[in-house]
Amino acid sequence: MDTADIETKVIQFIATKAENLDASTINRSSKFEELGLDSMDTIQLLFDAEDAFGINFDSEEAKGFSSVGDIISYIEKHQATPL
Amino acid sequence: MRIVVTGMGIVSPIGIGTDQFWSAAVNGVSGIKRISAFDASKQRSQIAGEVAGFDPATFLSAKYMDQTDRFAQLALLAANLALDDAGGLDGYAPQRVAVSIGSGMGGFGTFESSATRRFKNQPVPPFTVPRTMANSAAAWVAIKHGLKGVNLTCSTACSSGANAIGMALDLLRAGRADAVVAGGAEACVLPLTMTSFEILHALTTSSNSDPEGASRPFAKGRAGFVMSEGAGILILEKEEQAIRRGAKIYAQLAGFGQACDAKHIVMPDIEGQISTMQAAIQDAGLKPDSIDHINAHATSTPLGDIVETRAIKHVFGSRAGDIAISATKSMVGHSIGASAAIGSIATIMALHTGTIHPTINLDEADPECDLDYTPNRAQQKNPRTGLCNAFGFGGNNASIIFTNP
Repeated sequence: MDTADIETKVIQFIATKAENLDASTINRSSKFEELGLDSMDTIQLLFDAEDAFGINFDSEEAKGFSSVGDIISYIEKHQATPL
Repeated sequence: MRIVVTGMGIVSPIGIGTDQFWSAAVNGVSGIKRISAFDASKQRSQIAGEVAGFDPATFLSAKYMDQTDRFAQLALLAANLALDDAGGLDGYAPQRVAVSIGSGMGGFGTFESSATRRFKNQPVPPFTVPRTMANSAAAWVAIKHGLKGVNLTCSTACSSGANAIGMALDLLRAGRADAVVAGGAEACVLPLTMTSFEILHALTTSSNSDPEGASRPFAKGRAGFVMSEGAGILILEKEEQAIRRGAKIYAQLAGFGQACDAKHIVMPDIEGQISTMQAAIQDAGLKPDSIDHINAHATSTPLGDIVETRAIKHVFGSRAGDIAISATKSMVGHSIGASAAIGSIATIMALHTGTIHPTINLDEADPECDLDYTPNRAQQKNPRTGLCNAFGFGGNNASIIFTNP
């Protein structure tokens, strides 16, 4: 999966999880709070993303995630393949 | 002070919504089928009353589905239906609207699936605790409808829904709320939970090839209850306020009684059942002679149905044989903490329509069960007062009395 592919897939995935949001309004720099995701929503999002992208987030590192780009970068770095 | 029922919502194995439920109940339709929720081939009891056609996505977003157990989702739909039926409670200050919901097991579906993941060393879903906790149904009803008053959960096994309605009556009488969203919800058609009831010999295991004939309260050869799921919610208000806002009134919630056996943790006891029915009748300011209809607890266990029959005979004496009794569980199975809320709606509908729904699968009664259980066919009896029984593990007994408004 190349970088653009990961970005598109993560954004589409987040669009299904956030309330009333279209993928076209989400980009790498979107902050979770701008998407209406509170801290618990974000924990749930990362849990679901682990299943969807076949990846395990390091929990200490994931605590610092604040934007869509943080998730994309982590997956790019760890080169996971989607299930 | 008179407390009245102004809205009802039900989600059951024989129908979603009061009209669908009542039509099926009057026609003696069974909601018991082979289990579809999981592979039940290893269960001794492979049948259940599941709510067919229940799709939480029709009223919850993906985010809220992640955060709610099925029992809370069933409660939310029943509450939506009940509040719609009541025409909304917008006229009340949010702080004066309470929620009181019973559940025997709470979010056990979440607990079972998260435990399975944990024991396989897989990550545990973040909302495991808020989905499992028994008060999540009441909390979600409050969140979704902005109800900021007292928020209570009652967990007394099979009588949870009855006690939740009773607590609502107390709140209204004590002036601690102006309206209450009250009832019960349960979703434990689940492998571990069902196995745990099997090991107590509570579930029938001899009717896997005849699901619709499996729940047979008072019948000869009955062999235990059938697990089921569902939710029932009532909207309760003070009569004068209900009249003032022009609400339609289905029935009066006239009395409530409670009694504990204080004997055995799971075996029923006649004394507790007698006491709770007597307490409810007294609370309603009635005499036993004025009770026309009983919605029996009647789970279809060999012992339970006999003890309830004897308790009814003790309370009502020579009149016991004249009372039209029916067992809703013959059609919907036993939905544990939801069962008395569903039974309450059946009782109210009997008063409202004049029709007593049948006890199905009652071709030949147990000789020790010799009252009028309305076998197999509905009867037009025009009852004015109805008593709904609920007896739970823990020797926890509750009876509710409804009367025509």
